[in-house]
Amino acid sequence: MKKLLDLRFVIGLFFLVVGVLLVGYHFIFSNATETINVWCGILFIAFAVMMLTLSKQEQHKNPQEN
Amino acid sequence: MKLEIIDYTIIAIYFLFVIGIGFLLKRQIKTGNDFLMSNRSIPLWITSLAFISANLGAQEVLGMAANGAKYGLYTVHFYWLGAVTAMIFLGVFMMPFYYGSKARSVPEYLKLRFDEKTRTFNALTFAVMTVFSSGVSLYALAMLMQTILGWNFDISIWAAASVVLVYTFLGGLTSAVYNEVLQFFLIVLGIAPLVFLGVHKAGGWEGIVQHVEDAKLHVWKGLDSPAHNPMGVDFIGMVFGLGFVLAFGYWCTDFLVVQRAMISRNLNDARRTPIIAAVPKILMPLIVILPGLVILALQKQFTNFNLPVNANGETNYNMVLPTLLQQLYPSGILGVGITALIASFMSGMAGNVTAFNTVFTFDIYQTHIKKDASQKHYLIIGKITTVIGILISIGTAYIARGYNSIMDLLQLVFSFVNAPLFATFALGMFWKRTTGHAAFWGLLSGTAAAAITHGLTLAEGKGAWIAKLHTFYSGTSQAFNIAWIAFVVCLTLTAIISLVTKPREEKELVGLVYSLTSKPKDDNKAWYKNPLWLGLLILLVTIVLNIIFF
Repeated sequence: MKKLLDLRFVIGLFFLVVGVLLVGYHFIFSNATETINVWCGILFIAFAVMMLTLSKQEQHKNPQEN
Repeated sequence: MKLEIIDYTIIAIYFLFVIGIGFLLKRQIKTGNDFLMSNRSIPLWITSLAFISANLGAQEVLGMAANGAKYGLYTVHFYWLGAVTAMIFLGVFMMPFYYGSKARSVPEYLKLRFDEKTRTFNALTFAVMTVFSSGVSLYALAMLMQTILGWNFDISIWAAASVVLVYTFLGGLTSAVYNEVLQFFLIVLGIAPLVFLGVHKAGGWEGIVQHVEDAKLHVWKGLDSPAHNPMGVDFIGMVFGLGFVLAFGYWCTDFLVVQRAMISRNLNDARRTPIIAAVPKILMPLIVILPGLVILALQKQFTNFNLPVNANGETNYNMVLPTLLQQLYPSGILGVGITALIASFMSGMAGNVTAFNTVFTFDIYQTHIKKDASQKHYLIIGKITTVIGILISIGTAYIARGYNSIMDLLQLVFSFVNAPLFATFALGMFWKRTTGHAAFWGLLSGTAAAAITHGLTLAEGKGAWIAKLHTFYSGTSQAFNIAWIAFVVCLTLTAIISLVTKPREEKELVGLVYSLTSKPKDDNKAWYKNPLWLGLLILLVTIVLNIIFF
């Protein structure tokens, strides 16, 4: 519950879901010449990983706060 | 524009997250202060991003892209001349009074510094402005969805309003602020790839320089005469009207944005909130103004980037971003782009509604209707006010549908209200002799002077409803000039009336006036924790950017 109240975790989760969707859509349905979805998907996943890592670090550093 | 299932899925996920945030925060809301002020417990990085995001509504995202196409790089004056300097001034000089006085809102500061009538006047004008502004955001969202996606106007209005209602009703200001931060990242990451694709297709910066007229590629060149620049403004209107009065009036006194800094954990965080927010603000033209230049360059090279025209045969510049989305984004990332637009409208609306419910509950209800009720009672009133604010916004959205010029009218109302208010604050905070009667009558006179100036001047067919004494080159120029005239009238009258009325005793003004308040000491802190050093560094970067794009 505490993790869900950490905004970094929520933002990370959102961009992870959207990033995975974009990458998955590219490989399953999209035209192979259109690469913008896969690049944006990778960008979103990288951003999500950064936010989730920051969230985890904060949880370890200060378990009392969000 | 046709959306695929992947696009709708992304929009649905976004709605799920924003409502989910409201539900998660619901348990933490127990008192009126939790709901309306987040109990002053929000970390610095969140308040800073919320500070900038509360302003990232329809006008910013769609409007600035439109201005980018219409006025070119002159549009960056809203950022590099106005917003950034005003945000630094707010953090360095004004925030100690807002935060240190323990006021819960900007009108409450006016009550502490001046008197009840000045507070009530500001609370009423602010409440009306916020719900109208919120309604216009809602109207713009529904119109956009109807135009580009063919969605039903009524369903768009009620669906968007319901989502905003759910998350602001459940989680109050904290929920609005948390969603603003999510919306900030979504807007930036959703539109940045569009700018990248557009610039690439236009042939890079060289392609833009080659295909866009030179007058639109400079920030200061051509300001010697309104006829020499695309915005049609003169030097005084730009520097004094926009750069000083309008920008400082908005960023330093509008509770919608100031509220985001006032909920920080401590004074140092509150001071650094607008200053740190100035960093993304400097870069924001890349996301919201550059698309306007990109589309001009693409129009010269391709046939499918022309903007639609309205019934009067005028180019509809508001369609810059939707046109680029349609032409450059395939399904998938298109869903992200559309969600980013929806997020910007909802962010603007929620910001207005949360500012409205705070001001109504504390400055109107608690002051004039029920003074000493329990925190639980004010929580209920705050929630009821949220529902009423959303319902009025829906009503305003339908009213806006019947008036083509309501967006212009709203901008004009802002210059009527915020410009004289900044004069009142400037005198109130920095001149201990300023009195309550002077502040009240000065505010009224400044607003009246703005209305009279509008009635005597004409721009793009608007104004001159009393007589036509002067014609401005553009509506923007008219607004800038009205703003500085309203400011000067308010400042002068407030000063004169103050000299002939009795001031308050000095001991009553400690913590409210600059000369009577001990200055916050930041000497021993690292430079990045010192608001003054941080502000000077950002100011230096802004000056360098102005020189580069001179």
